[in-house]
This record gives sequence, C-alpha cells and structure tokens, in this order.
Amino acid sequence: MHPDFDAHALSRRTFLGQTSLGLGAAAALSLIDPASIAADSTPLGGLANLPHFAPRAKRVIFLYMSGGPSHLETFDYKPELERLDGQPMPTSFTAGQPIAQLQGQELKCLGPQYKFQRHGESGQEIADILPETAKIADDIAIIRSLHTDQINHDPAHTVMNTGTSISGRPSMGSWITYGLGSESRDLPGFVVLTSVGGRNPQPISSRQWASGFLPSRFQGVEFYSKGDPVHYVRDPAGVTRAQQRQVVDAVSELNRIRQRTVANPELETRIAQLELAFRMQESIPRLMDLSSEPKHVLESYGTTGSDGSFAANCLLARRLAENGVRFIQLYHRGWDHHGDLTRYMETCCRLCDGPTAALVNDLKARDMLKDTLVIWGGEFGRTPMFQGKGQSAGRDHHIKGFSMWLAGGGVKGGVTYGATDELGYHAVENPVHVRDLHATILHQLGIDHRRLSIKAQGLDMRLTGVEPARVVKEILA
Amino acid sequence: MHDLRPVVLSLLIAFAATASADERIAFNRDIRPILSDKCFACHGPDKNHRQAELRLDTRDGARADRDGSIAVVPGKPDESALVERITHADADLRMPPAEARKDLTPAEIDLLRRWIAAGAVYEDHWAYVPPKRPDLPAVAQRGWAANEIDLFLLEKLEAAKLAPAPEADQVTLLRRLHFDLIGLPPTPAEVDAFLADDSPEAWERVVDRLLASPHYGERMAMYWLDLVRYADTVGYHGDQEHHTTLYRDYVIQAFRENKPFDVFTLEQLAGDLLPEPTVDQRIASGYNRLLQTSHEGGVQQKEYLAKYGADRVRNFSAVWLGGTMGCAECHDHKYDPYTQADFYSLIAILADIDDFQTFKGGDTSPTKRLPEIEALSPFDRQRIADIDAEIVALGRQTGEGDAAVETRADVETQIAALRTEREQLEKRVRKQMVTAAIEPRPIRLLPRGDWLDDSGPLMTARTPEFLPGIAAEGRISRLDLARWLTSPEQPQTARVFVNRLWYLLFGKGLSRSLDDFGSQGEVPSHPELLDWLAVEFRERGWDVKHMVKRIVMSSTYRQSSIPSDDHLRLDPQNRLFGRQNRFRLQAEMIRDNALAVSGLLVDRVGGPSARPYQPAGYYAHLNFPTRSYLPDNDDSQYRRGVYVHWQRQYLHPMLRAFDAPSREECTAERIVSNTPTSALTLLNDPTFLEAARVLAVRVLEQTDRDDDGKLAWLWREVLSREATGEELAVLRRLLEANRTEYTERPETAQAFLDVGLAPRPKDYPLPEVAAWSAVCRALLNLNETISRN
Repeated sequence: MHPDFDAHALSRRTFLGQTSLGLGAAAALSLIDPASIAADSTPLGGLANLPHFAPRAKRVIFLYMSGGPSHLETFDYKPELERLDGQPMPTSFTAGQPIAQLQGQELKCLGPQYKFQRHGESGQEIADILPETAKIADDIAIIRSLHTDQINHDPAHTVMNTGTSISGRPSMGSWITYGLGSESRDLPGFVVLTSVGGRNPQPISSRQWASGFLPSRFQGVEFYSKGDPVHYVRDPAGVTRAQQRQVVDAVSELNRIRQRTVANPELETRIAQLELAFRMQESIPRLMDLSSEPKHVLESYGTTGSDGSFAANCLLARRLAENGVRFIQLYHRGWDHHGDLTRYMETCCRLCDGPTAALVNDLKARDMLKDTLVIWGGEFGRTPMFQGKGQSAGRDHHIKGFSMWLAGGGVKGGVTYGATDELGYHAVENPVHVRDLHATILHQLGIDHRRLSIKAQGLDMRLTGVEPARVVKEILA
Repeated sequence: MHDLRPVVLSLLIAFAATASADERIAFNRDIRPILSDKCFACHGPDKNHRQAELRLDTRDGARADRDGSIAVVPGKPDESALVERITHADADLRMPPAEARKDLTPAEIDLLRRWIAAGAVYEDHWAYVPPKRPDLPAVAQRGWAANEIDLFLLEKLEAAKLAPAPEADQVTLLRRLHFDLIGLPPTPAEVDAFLADDSPEAWERVVDRLLASPHYGERMAMYWLDLVRYADTVGYHGDQEHHTTLYRDYVIQAFRENKPFDVFTLEQLAGDLLPEPTVDQRIASGYNRLLQTSHEGGVQQKEYLAKYGADRVRNFSAVWLGGTMGCAECHDHKYDPYTQADFYSLIAILADIDDFQTFKGGDTSPTKRLPEIEALSPFDRQRIADIDAEIVALGRQTGEGDAAVETRADVETQIAALRTEREQLEKRVRKQMVTAAIEPRPIRLLPRGDWLDDSGPLMTARTPEFLPGIAAEGRISRLDLARWLTSPEQPQTARVFVNRLWYLLFGKGLSRSLDDFGSQGEVPSHPELLDWLAVEFRERGWDVKHMVKRIVMSSTYRQSSIPSDDHLRLDPQNRLFGRQNRFRLQAEMIRDNALAVSGLLVDRVGGPSARPYQPAGYYAHLNFPTRSYLPDNDDSQYRRGVYVHWQRQYLHPMLRAFDAPSREECTAERIVSNTPTSALTLLNDPTFLEAARVLAVRVLEQTDRDDDGKLAWLWREVLSREATGEELAVLRRLLEANRTEYTERPETAQAFLDVGLAPRPKDYPLPEVAAWSAVCRALLNLNETISRN
C-alpha cells in the first residue's frame, strides 16, 4: 500500500534537511556508548536491517486503560450473562481457574450494566456508556478474544508491555525505538504520559516503560502535562538562556580541548548530547504548551490546556506524533472496578471516551491515521462474576478473555474479531494472546517479530518470547 | 608489504571461528560457541525439545548411531552426518534450518569440518571444570612484570606483537585508584603527598591506605547491592518500603573488615542456621528476603510462592554461579546443562525460608516483612563498645586517689558526655527483615512453570546434577549449599567473583559475560589468568582485599588508558588489556564526586537511607498508599550515593539517568549510556547546582589569589591535575560574562543562590558568588570530571 514509504530514508532526509543543527549535532546521531551496542545502528538509532518489509504504520499511540476495563460493559455484549444475573456462576467455567480477590467466595453472575447498540455502517456492537467511541465504530477493529497470563495488576502490566512477567525485559516502546529509531531530532523516541480519574488509581511502575537490557536511551521518557514537562528541563532559577548557553559552550570547548589528548570516541557523543539537552530545554516546553492550539481543537478534545487530564494528553499525543515520536503511551489509571462498577465506569468513560474519539478524528483529519496505529485497552478484563466491594456491584480481575481495539496504521476499520463464550469468560473463538497482539503491532511497523532480537544472558531475546506468536492478519487492511 | 598482524591478532582474540589454518583447534574456544549458538537450541541439553534425538552438546550424543546415521565420525568429516547436513545443497535439508536464522558462515563450516578431521575432541566446558593453578608463562619482557598477573597478559601481548601501554601519569593513577577502591576523588593534599613520595613503596602505601579506608567498604557494597538486588522497597504493585538498611550496613562492614568471601557467602545464605547466630549473621540472612514481593489485594498465595522461589533461584545462580537458570523454570536450559529438575531442586533447598508471613504484610508503607528483628548497625555497636572502653579507662583515672580535683571534674564531664552519646546511639535501633527457617515446604516441579499444575514430581533438595554433589546426611540445607559454593571442587564461584573484580578494576571482565558462564557466554580472553586468580582467591582464604591488591599492584593495572595507533588498529576492543580502559563513573560516584569536591560530602558510614532533592511529583503514580517524598533537611542530604533511598519502581532520577539499575533482578554489569537526560541532570539537578555554589564560596575564600590564581586552584580541586593556559582562558571568559550579567542584575544572583539547604553565603558579594558558581557548574559538567581514566 505504501511502496514509497521508507522510514529510514525519511528520517535521514528529515535529519539532514535540518539546517539549524547546533554544534556537534552530527555526532548526536550516535547517542550511545559504542561499546554497549551493535555497530549496525543507523544514524537515528534504528537497526540497519529494519524495517523488514514495507510498514503500514510509522508510529503507535497506545491508550493504555490501566486497571483492566470491563469488556462486558464496553465491547463484548453477553445476553446469556444478563439472563443469569444473580445466579450462581456455573462451576464448569471457573473450576481450576486462577482467581484474584474472589478467592474462596461464592461466585455469582453479574449481568452487563449497560445496553449495547449497533453503530456505524459496520454495525459494531458498543455499549451506551461509550457514545463517542460509538461514532468511530467504522474506524476501529475490536478484538474480543484477548487473553493474558497474569491475574494481578503489576505482573499483568509487565506482560502487556514486555511480553513476560519477569522484571528486567525491555518494554514494547523500547523495542520499537531500538529497532526503528526515532524520527525526531530533539525529542525522545518513546514518550509516556499519565492522567488520573476514576477509582483510586492503580499504581504504575516505571518498569512498564523501561528499556531492560537495551541501552537506556530507548527507555520511555515520562512527560508531564502539568509542572515541569520533563525532569530537569528548566534552566535553574537565576540563570538566563544566554547564561546556560555560555555554560554549555564552555563545557563543550573544554571537552574538545581534552579530546586532543585522550581521543575518546565517547566524548564526541557526550558533547552532542549536551547540545541536544540544551535544545530540548526549548523544544519540549514549546511542544507541551497547548496555547497555540485553536479553540475548536481544544474543545473537540474537551480540554482548556495542559492540565494533566486524559483529554490534554490525547492532544499532546497528537503533537508528539506530528513531531516524529515513534511510540506514545498514554496511561489512564482509573479502571480497576472491584465495586461501584457503574459509578466508576461513568467517571472513566466521561474522562476518556470523548478525547479518544477526538484523537482518532483529529488524526484522520490530518491524514495521519493511515500511518498511526492507535490501540485502546488495558492489562486484562473483568470477571463475569459479581464482586461486592463498595456500595454496588463490581467485577474482579479477569485474564481468560477480554477486549481491546486497534485503529489506523493499516488496521481494518469496522470489524469485530474473536469471541468469548456465552458468559464472556473464556476466549473461545480465534483467541489472541498478548504476544499475538505484540506480533501484530510490530508487523504493522514493518517488523517481523521473530527477527527483532538481541542477545542477552546468552539468549536471543524477543518481545514475543519463545512461544509461537501470530500476526492477527484478519484485522489488517 | 601488507601488514598481516591484524589478521593474526583477530584470529587470536576473537572468540568465534578463531583457529587459524595451522593452529590446533580448541573445542571450548573454537567449536562450542558455534555449536551452542547454532545447534544446541534443538540438539542440546533440553531433552523435551530435542529434535531427531540428536544431541551435540556431549561427545556420546554426537557419536551415537541413530539408525545408521552418525553425526560426528571422528577423523572422517565426509562420513559425518553433521557435515553432510550443514553443507547440503538442498536448502530444505540444510542445517540449521532457514527459519532459525542461524546460518553458518563458511569459516564456521570449515572449522567444524577440521575439528572432526582432527578427531572431534570434546572438552568439558571451561567454567564447569574446577580451576587448577596454571604454570606461569615465559615471557620476553620479564622486567615489565610487577607480578604474576602481568606474565599472563604479556604472554598474549607478545604473541600479538603488541606492546603494553606506558604507565599512566601519577595524577591519573592516583585518581584511578581512588575511584576504583573507594569511589571518591583524591584531595589535592593527597595528590601532593603522592607526587612528593618518590620511594618505590609509594604506590603500595596508597593502595594500603585506600584498602584500609571505611569508604572501600562502601564502594564494594555499591556493586554487591546490584548483584543481590538490594532495594528499599518491595518492587511489585504498591512498591511499599520494607526494612532492610541494616543489611546494607552489614555488606559495607563485611567488605571493610575483609570478611572472607566464603564466610560472607555463608552468612547471607544461611546465617540464621549457624549455631547461636550473631546479630550480624541474622542481619546477613536478610539476603534471602531481598526479592520483589507483592502486597496487592488478590494475590494468590500459591502463585506467589512459586514466583518467590523462582526469583531466588535466578538470583542465586546469577550471583554465585554466573548461571542463567531463569529459563529452567519452564523447561531444561537450551544451551547449558541446567535442567528443569535442577531448578526446582534448588528451590527445594531454599524451601525453608518463611514466605507465608510476607502475605500478611499489607499495603501500608513500610509494609511488614516478618520475620524482622530490631538491632543496631555494626557501626553503632562498634562505637558503643569503644565508648564503654573509654569510660572504663577514664574511670580508672578518677579511681586513682591522687588525681587533682579539677582533673577529676574534667574526667567526669567527659564520662557524662560519653554516656549521653551512648544513650543516643542506643536509640538508633532499626528493623531488618531476616530469614527464619520453617518446616520446608514440599516443592513440586511445575510443568512449563505453571503453578496451577500439581502433576509434577516432588523434588529432593540438591544442587544441579552436572555439578559436584553434596554429601550430607539428611536433607540438603542452605548451610550445605553455601559451603558447597566455596568448596574446592565447585568450579564457578571463585571464577565468577574474580572476573567481576577484574571488571571493577578494568571496566570489562576477562570473560566479558559477567552474568553468563555458560555455553552462550564468552570464553575468557585469558583463561589461564582467570584460573590463576580463582585459585589464588580460594587458597588465600577467600581474601578479597588480597585479590584487589594483587590486581592493582600489577603493571597491567597501571597502564595508560590512552590507546596508541597500534592498539586501535590491532586490538580496538582492548581484549588483550594492552592498555587500561577509560569509562564514565557510575551514577553514585558522579554524585559523590560533586559533593566531595564542593566540600558538601558527609562521609558518615552506614545508617538509614538518604533522600536527596528530587523533582516534585515524581512519586505521583505510586499508590497503596500514596507516597510523598520528603527530601532530607539535615546533613543526610549530603551522604553518599550508596545510601540513597532505592525505590524500585521510581529510582531517583539522577541515579536512573546514569544507568543505576532498578534492582529488580541481579545486575552484574551496568549499561553505560550517554543520553540527553543525563546531560540535563548534570546541568540542572539542584544537587549539582548547590555543589557548584558551595564550591564557589570555597573559591572566594582563596583571598590571596587573583582570578587566574583562583581558576587554577579550582581546576585542581575538581580534576586533581594542573590546568593548561588554554583551559583557563575558557573559564576566564565564562567568569567575566557571568560577572557582568550578575553585577547588572543582582536579583538573579540571589535567585540562583537560593538553591539547596546549605547556608547562604554572607561574606562575599552575591554577583561574585553567582558568577563563580557558573564556572563551577561548567567544571562539574566536564566529561573528565565524570570519567575514570
């Protein structure tokens, strides 16, 4: 579909086209300890043999609904569960299965809490609690048959982001920027933003965007849409830009003088990184300042400016995408609804539904949806069984079947793929494991998941691990 | 004529496909790496996934007759099925299969063929054979060698026709030794003293001084804490704090007092099982509790018992065996002889560690990690013992009848002061989680690592089968395991540790794979030297300081790190150690150095964790409970990096920017990256800004010097060496520009000087302090300042 698309040629072009490169910028091309990484890295960090084939997506925006949104209240309608509401959960479903907070409790069914309607030309079934998402039904591919391995938040996040629950492995965004490099001259390739709202938010660990055994320049950098946008990005109090420039210049000059004695290849890189850091001090605050956005755009997302909301972060995600950031991950942490399901679903959906649809529409209007893969979903789903925390009904963690959706970046819109059983417990039709999702994401970026590996502890480590993983071709355009 | 040396050298020192045409092929060096990387995944140790019933990791397996097909027929490559298959014309029949993406190069095929022609000799894997002390090699330039280590290095350098680098200059040598042994720079007075001492023992004197320094213990602890994944928080989910700072003090003290490594090992793995364990031995047993734990609601006990057991075996094998046993949780290791049964048998040895109480620790911070004890740190206990001795001594004075009244009053005042200090010390008890043995849990092998599957056999506690066993009556205990590690027949422990010491002192190991001594790891560049060091270590009673001293006393250690053209051409990676390596300081040392040169450093040894300034809101994503970070508002602000509060999920951004690990798993080698984030940190982190402004005041205190004199003084304070005129000129320009700016706008000077807790300067004009601070900032940001040369 995009025979002329070559990420590397493009990034090189973009890079060389910049005439305002500061001192040492050419050396900024190699950002890492030459000894710590294979010599086959291309200028902006990508591997020489990548992409493996023509990519359909240049970048990813992962709207990570942390805590585990209920599939049964969003994208997976189960009339049979409605019928059994309040009845004991048939043990044939639950015997021998891992259970989280409902361990040792009587298990009974909880019917869907919202009505579902068919939407768009495709007639996708979406719950009434997501009215704006319903309007983009024809743009999204819903997968109803996700499943994962871990039933507690922290390890389940780690599976979703790194492919395994063992700590210390690189996250998806790190793998992707390691493989493809960045298209941005003065922004990190992998950016993470987090918002709040909903139930008492689940903690989220920086492990989820860590680079593991990949060099740390591939780790996700947290941006904050309130306060300092990045740690240490502001000039110190009492130091003007000009004075900061003087310090940076003096340091670089002294480093160069020293270089005549020591001939240290690392030193050129350090000079370049200092220069890049200085530029980032201007570029990042500028990027994070939403005051230049027209009023109608702000309104469409439902934000008035950088305020830490999911809405503001969605708009920032678009700006990061426009500026060449490869992998953008937005966490919203309010989705862990053990009790008061409807109350908290309403809060979360109010905060997330509109901005999500606005982002997809905005990308589409800018002709960016075609090469931006947008992903919506959390680390797991929720039980068909009732949980009694709080004032009203809730649901426990559930890993054997849950829903996510993908849009853009070569994904077919208006399709629903896979199915859970009649009670929404097990993924029974075309199950999609998290590693299949990873394989699919990499595939859209032009990466064969079997061939993106790095040697660590004697093994060829991959995002998708050692078990077979499958690209979900059925949802691809 | 074309210079052939690069070719010869690369053949000597590369580690795959290395034997040149007329050289003897060595299985471990030349063949095992090929077979391991290209073949073992399907034809190796993992019996459950072995293809065609062929295994190539053993001699018998390779020679087995499988329905008339023999993979390896010694001496007869053309009759060997292996050769046939790796050279097969039909791509579908050729090995390795295309989808494995493990194609053999022509050079590798040639090596395999020649190896079979030469008799297909198998050798035991180098790391699994107990080290024997090798003969010392004969070398031409004996005069260069300061000790045995140099002979091993020189042998290979001479073979490569490469000269060792000249000795580094004295200032560089002293800085190198200071950073390597205590993690702090020398003071200018220490530099002067060293430069003035031209006796032959000058170097050894400095070595001995630094080995005796309490800061040596801190420096070594920095590394050990990475290995054992020491942290102040539990790691999973709510990442609550747990009590373990006494363990850190124990490690510092152990290195400081040079506790033999076998005892150090024993106390950590099994201190609680020793007869009438001392407080320190119980604290040491906290090692078994350092793993990540979860206090999330809805944790399934059975699942997490499995996780914890696996975590411990991963760490145990990484720390002591250089083994990568993690894979064996689900299946036999693909490359090394660790079986899945070995993995669960090791868990069975550790199955008496009480994890049940961990589940009772809720999501408060700190959480409870019972069993815990309350104790004083070894440093506080030592001080109390000293005080008691002093009081007794003083009491003897007052007891003597003819003491003058005023003397007696004076002595009583002293005693009262000591008693007060003692009372204060007694209050400094801290909690520490420790190990307490319970009835060992029955451990089953979990098929495919699945904790829900109870069908696996019950495991007997034992060590990996291919390694020496333990002859013990009854159940193999943690004590047995710890003793086994340092027994003479155990092949890995000593090698793994001395290789890591070499890394600390050269920036790279003799085997570069510090965490993998298996088939996929790197064969050491100097296997005989590694064995010599390992045997020396063991035979000298596991004396760590002795080993450090041996290495730093060598000529090899004292070489310059500036490569010659020959070095760059013939040995760009410095595999032969024909020069020292240059590397960026580790995160903690970058902090310590800035604090030390500014005069802010508080070098108190031991104690609770320190909380330096940290960006507001950094812990916003923590919950259960929500956390606020209160930076220390006393002198704890200026303690060394080794004491910084280690929040696994949100490590201090400064440490993180300079590649300190989260300590969720064992880290044997830190990545060294070079990122804009680290540049921003050095430029703008308040710790470095405050260090600059405090250092500026020290500059201004040099009132008898003019600007140039002050600049020269400052340079030497930070970098130990004299500045050149060219360097001073750069700083002078920076000083003058800032002086103009701040004189015109003194209010900005005030704003700058407000950073940090340290008292505001009173005796000097603010614009002057601020202008000098800019110069100090530049110095703290220099590459040289954060490098060890």
